[in-house]
Amino acid sequence: MNITVPKCGSTEYMARDMCSRLGLGFVQAPEYSERTVELGVTLSPEHVCFPCKVLIGSSVEAIELGADTIMMAAGFGPCRFNYFAEIMRRVLEREGYSFRIITFDGPRDAPLDFFRNVRLIVPAANKGLAGMARDMTLSLRKGWAFDEIEKQAMAVRALESEESATDKAIAECLSVLDAARTRLEIDEAREWIADRFARVPVDLERPYIKVGLVGELLMSIEPYFNFDVVRWLARHGATVERSLHMSDVFTPLGRNPVLGYNTPEINKAASPFLCHEVGGHGHISVGATVQFARRGFDAIVHFFPFTCLPEVISKTVFMRISNEFDIPILSISVDEQTGRAGMQTRLEALMDVAWNSKMKHEERPGSSPVVAPRDRVPL
Amino acid sequence: MRVGIPRAMLYHHYGEYWLQFLETVGVEAVVSEETTGNTITTGAVHADNETCLPVKVFSGHMLWLKERVDVVLVPRVVSEEYGMCACPKFMGLPDLARSLTPDMPPVLAPRLDMGDRRYLWAREWYDTARALGGSWLSSVSAVSGLLQNLYHHHKSLVDESYEKGGLRVGVAGHVYNVYDSRVSMGMLDRIRKLGATPVTIDEVQHNNALANARTLSREIFWGFESKLAGSVLHWSRTASVSGILYVTSFACGPGSMVGALLEDQLDRERSVPLMTITLDEHAAEAGLVTRLEAFVDMLKYASRAHATPSADGASGGA
Repeated sequence: MNITVPKCGSTEYMARDMCSRLGLGFVQAPEYSERTVELGVTLSPEHVCFPCKVLIGSSVEAIELGADTIMMAAGFGPCRFNYFAEIMRRVLEREGYSFRIITFDGPRDAPLDFFRNVRLIVPAANKGLAGMARDMTLSLRKGWAFDEIEKQAMAVRALESEESATDKAIAECLSVLDAARTRLEIDEAREWIADRFARVPVDLERPYIKVGLVGELLMSIEPYFNFDVVRWLARHGATVERSLHMSDVFTPLGRNPVLGYNTPEINKAASPFLCHEVGGHGHISVGATVQFARRGFDAIVHFFPFTCLPEVISKTVFMRISNEFDIPILSISVDEQTGRAGMQTRLEALMDVAWNSKMKHEERPGSSPVVAPRDRVPL
Repeated sequence: MRVGIPRAMLYHHYGEYWLQFLETVGVEAVVSEETTGNTITTGAVHADNETCLPVKVFSGHMLWLKERVDVVLVPRVVSEEYGMCACPKFMGLPDLARSLTPDMPPVLAPRLDMGDRRYLWAREWYDTARALGGSWLSSVSAVSGLLQNLYHHHKSLVDESYEKGGLRVGVAGHVYNVYDSRVSMGMLDRIRKLGATPVTIDEVQHNNALANARTLSREIFWGFESKLAGSVLHWSRTASVSGILYVTSFACGPGSMVGALLEDQLDRERSVPLMTITLDEHAAEAGLVTRLEAFVDMLKYASRAHATPSADGASGGA
C-alpha cells in the first residue's frame, strides 16, 4: 500500500511520519509546478474551484510516481472541499488511473465511517488499532513542532542580521525533529526549536512592520500559490503571522496549539462582523483578522482561490473591518491565470500604505525617523 | 414600521411564509420590485465582483430597498432540511448585506435552521417579532405559523403524471434563477415557444428526489442541490424527459460541483442528454436562444430517429 496525501503545509510531514511508524509505503507528491496546475486544469470540470483542480493534478503526479492509495479528508459542511474526494475519484476513474481513494470524514460527524476507513488501513499496517491511534497522536505532535518552526521563521526572518540565518535555523531544527520518535523526544525537540530560534542573530534596531496572513488553507500556506509571499514580505521588512496551520486543522476540539487561540475565541472576535459559521475557514479568516488588528498589526494579506465560497464572504466583510480598525487589507484571489507581476504590484502598494501609516505614528520630535527598508536596501 | 424583503435568493423559496410572519406580527411588509436590468447593474457594481449572479441580484434589491424601508429582513438560512446544510452564501447573506454600503438600514437576521431538530432558532424569530413591535401573543402565533409552514414545506403532493409523446425538457436549476424571468431571460417561455414542455424540479415529488439523491456514492450535503440532483436522476431513470437543461450561475459553488457530478453520473448511466447553461450578468439573449434552439432541435431529431425504425414510440432518449 503506497499512500499519498494532498500536499499542503505540514500534512505531508505528518503523513510520512505516520506511515514510517506503521510500516506503510508513502509516496511524496512532487512540489507544485506549472505541470501540476496544467494537468489539473485539463482534467477537472470547468467550474470547480482552484484547489480541487490542483489536487487532481497533484494526485495524477503522485500516481505516476507509484502511489496506489490517496488519503483525503472530507466532512460535513457547506464548503466545496467536502466534495473534492468524490469529484477527484470520478475524474481519475474516467481517465483510467488505477488507485483507491480513502475519504476520511471527521470523526465527530461520522464516527462509524471514520472507524471503517481506519480499518481499511489496518491490514497493511504492522500495528493494531490502539497502536495506530497512539502513532497518530505522536505524528500530530510532530506536526505541531513542524508548524512551530514555520511560525518562528516567519516572525524572525525580517529581522535577521546575517544573511540566511533563519534558513540555517530551519534546517537544523528539521534535522533535530526528524530524529525524534517518542513523545519525550518530540517535546524536547520542541523546546530545542524554541531555544534555537531565540539564538537567531537579529537586528533589534531595524524598523519593521507586522503583517497578518489569512485566507484559504492551500493558497495561504503553499508558497507556490502565494508566490512565496512570506519571504517577499520579509524582504520588505515585515514579520508575518499566519492564521492557519495544518496541524491546527487536524487537532480536535478547535484547540489550535500552534496559533495560540482556540476557535471559540476566534469566533467571538469575528462575531460583530460575521456572526455565523460559513464553512471552510471563512470564519477563522475574519476572526483572525480582527485579532491581528487589535494586536496592532500594520496590514493584512488575504489569499483565496477564485470564487471560493467562504472566503468571498469574508472578503465582503473585510471592508467593514478595514474601516473600523483603520487597517489596510489586501484580498488576492488566485487561480491558474494569476500572474506574479500583478500580485507584486498590489503587494508593493500595500507595503507603501502600511509603512506610511507606521511612519506617521512614530515620527515624534526627538526620535530618529523610521525609514522603510525598500528605500534603504535596493531589491 | 416598514419592513423590507428583497425579492431575491430564498424569497423564491420561503417568501410567502416570511410575508405571513410579518403580517401576523402586524407590520407593513415591502417586497422589492421584480428584477430589472437596472437591479442587476447596481447590484453588480456594489457587490463583491466574485460573488455569484444571485447575490448580485440580491444586492441590487437591497439597494432598491435602502431608501424605502426602516429595516430589512434577511433570514439567515443555515439548513433547509434535517441532515443537510445550505450554501455558505446563505449563511453569510445578512453579514454580506450589512457590509454592502456603509449606510444600510438595520438588517434583521433570524436564523432558519431546519437541521436543528430542537428548534432553538425559533427563539430568534420570536425576538425578531418582538423587536418589530409585536405583542407576545401575536409574536408567538407568528412564529408557530412560520414553523408549521416550514414543516409542511416539502410535504405537499406533486402531480408527477405526464402524457407520453410530447417533447419534455427538464429544467434543473436554482429556483431563484429559473423563476426570475429577468435572470433566466424567460427561459421557460422560450422553451415553450420552441414546441417543448419545460418541467422544473418543483414538479418532482420531494421524497422521490431525495431517494434518488441517496443512491449517489457520496451524499450531497447541500439541501437544495440534493433535491436538484435527485430530480435530475429521477427524470433520467424514469425516462420522463427527453433532455435536461442544467441552469447554474457563474461562480456558484454547489452548482459547479453538482454539475460536474451529474454530467459524470448521467454519462455512466448512458442516460438522456444534458446541457449546462451558465448565467451571469453579461449573459446575452442571443447566445441563450441559439443554444436552446440547438438543444431542442437535437432532441427532436433524436426522438424521430429513435421512433422511426422501431416504430413502438418508446419514450425519448439518446
